[in-house]
Amino acid sequence: MSRLREMVESHRVIVCCGAGGVGKTTTATGLALAGARSGRRVLALTIDPSKRLAQTLGVARNLKEPAPVPHSFLVAAEATAGSLHAWMLDPQLVADRSVDKLSPTPAVAARLKANRMYKQLARMVAGMQEYTAMEALHGFLDDGAYDLVILDTPPSRNALDFLDGPRRLERFFDGRIFQLFLPGEKASFIGRAASNLIHRAMSGVFGEATYLELQEFFGAFENIMYALTRNALRTREKLSDAETVAFLLVTSPAPEALEDAHLFRHKVEDLGLPFGGFVLNRSLAAGVARVMPDRSMLGDAPTAAEISGLAKLRRLAELEWAAVDEDRALLAELTERAGPGAVALALPTFPDGAHDIGGLVQVARSLTA
Amino acid sequence: MAGKGGVGRSTLTAALGVAGAAAGKRMLVAEIGEPDGPYSPLARLFGRDNFPVEPVEVADGVDGCVLYARRGHQLFMEYVLPVRALAMAAMRSKALERMLVAVPSFHEMGVYYHLLTLIREVDGRRPYDCILLDMPATGHALALTGLPDVLLELMPVGPIAKAFREGQAYLNDPVYGGALVVTLPEELPVTESLELMEGLRETRVPVAGVIVNKIMGDEFTDEEREAMLALSERVPVYGRGRLVGAATARDAVETLRRGAPQVDPVLVPEFATRGAALTADIAASLAGGKA
Repeated sequence: MSRLREMVESHRVIVCCGAGGVGKTTTATGLALAGARSGRRVLALTIDPSKRLAQTLGVARNLKEPAPVPHSFLVAAEATAGSLHAWMLDPQLVADRSVDKLSPTPAVAARLKANRMYKQLARMVAGMQEYTAMEALHGFLDDGAYDLVILDTPPSRNALDFLDGPRRLERFFDGRIFQLFLPGEKASFIGRAASNLIHRAMSGVFGEATYLELQEFFGAFENIMYALTRNALRTREKLSDAETVAFLLVTSPAPEALEDAHLFRHKVEDLGLPFGGFVLNRSLAAGVARVMPDRSMLGDAPTAAEISGLAKLRRLAELEWAAVDEDRALLAELTERAGPGAVALALPTFPDGAHDIGGLVQVARSLTA
Repeated sequence: MAGKGGVGRSTLTAALGVAGAAAGKRMLVAEIGEPDGPYSPLARLFGRDNFPVEPVEVADGVDGCVLYARRGHQLFMEYVLPVRALAMAAMRSKALERMLVAVPSFHEMGVYYHLLTLIREVDGRRPYDCILLDMPATGHALALTGLPDVLLELMPVGPIAKAFREGQAYLNDPVYGGALVVTLPEELPVTESLELMEGLRETRVPVAGVIVNKIMGDEFTDEEREAMLALSERVPVYGRGRLVGAATARDAVETLRRGAPQVDPVLVPEFATRGAALTADIAASLAGGKA
């Protein structure tokens, strides 16, 4: 059985990472379908604000919770033994739910959610995406509704933010540090110099009134933020389990994309996260065997357009043929660099794209062949 | 410079930088990152591993630098805090540093301010005629362009609001600034670039133009193309990928024209070159055309 198939059948989380435009979403979708085919309850979750995954799976945007993909998709993919839900992360919704869940009473939750600073922060995409992704993942891994979560991430650099997020939070909510940003009386027992410096700098930067409001906000959300940080750290720890989690680096044969993939792989390993292997998309090293176009293919009485067209097609064919060798060498190199136990798999360019369910089923099959 | 990942945004940024310099303009190419970042595709096009925080000349007449959040924070503190020593002390404070990297959007505010300092006139003179910023991919680019309005609602008065208004005066005014959307002649990238243009309009960033990269040469007559498509459906031949690609490219450009009739797309041909040679080829092609 292929290594990737084992992962799809036994893992709890597969994270797809890579540069932009390399086919991450297509790969993630294919893996999700493959999971459902093997009878598992799968959630395809995207934290990339470009929204492609849900759309590809025929699920509406802006949903409040994961939605099942159309049954006809599962039938077409011969995946009715399992189930498949898809969801695009909605940072504001996740933030609101966390406040509901972590507040002692509904009244407290309502008061917190009405906080002006909270309302603005929650609808801010920049930065919120990463934190709420961890919280959402925490929820999905805890509640047991899914056997396998396939996570589609934003392009590499931004994907790192999501992995670094928990540590950033932890360092800020470190008791001594955070106290310095709370309203006056709480800070009074700490080193006066530090608290004085922060107060003067922050007031200068934000203006007195805004800084006061920010302090009040920190004060009101202290408990919630501690809880969120705890959840994020716990999820982060779960993600480091090589038995149940794999980070797959998706790439194309383009040099920039490859460089990104190698870089990200090291970053993943530096962070103590399990590297699962490479998926090389749009590779001429995979797919059906091809032949050079030839006069014999034209039949007995070819038209003038067929003859002149064939000459032009042959020039294109030679270009493609030369690229096949390059792509084969590339796959061999990736296999070696991935090392034993990791995946190195090439997927062809699907000529008609993989935008419809037929294409995606092909992807699912190729991934787990 | 905005667009989906993998469409050649960095390459077009570099090429426009080179083309601008050739036309006698003082150009700056920039990207968001860290000064000694591990790997930058944009810097690579100028034969470097990365860009520094202080602009340096990376090609004739072209400077390069990163927009670095921490530098933005520092410059902003020096600008608004009455005593320079206070700003210095604040930047050294571990507590402040941890807060600035943890609170959502403070990072982006730093980047934004750093950009503003490069746009602003110094001693009555603009440091650059043109700054080309290689933005992150679509979703994150829109998060950035949407930030000022959200922040201004959050803090309508105070030093930060003042800086953002100053920035908006440049970036939201088509006389000074605008977004160039880069895309490929394929269905998905074109669809996404139309969405991106819509998103940019919503965040009040003027769309200055659209560049379609990697237009494949297509020498087939309609009749020849049809015959060869039919052949390639009967027999799995090499060349089909490029044959289909050239045909879909025409449709994709049509879709783009229909979806965004107000902008006339600039078409950039596909070149076989890579790296700096590719940059030069594209720059020459841009300089030769209406662009």
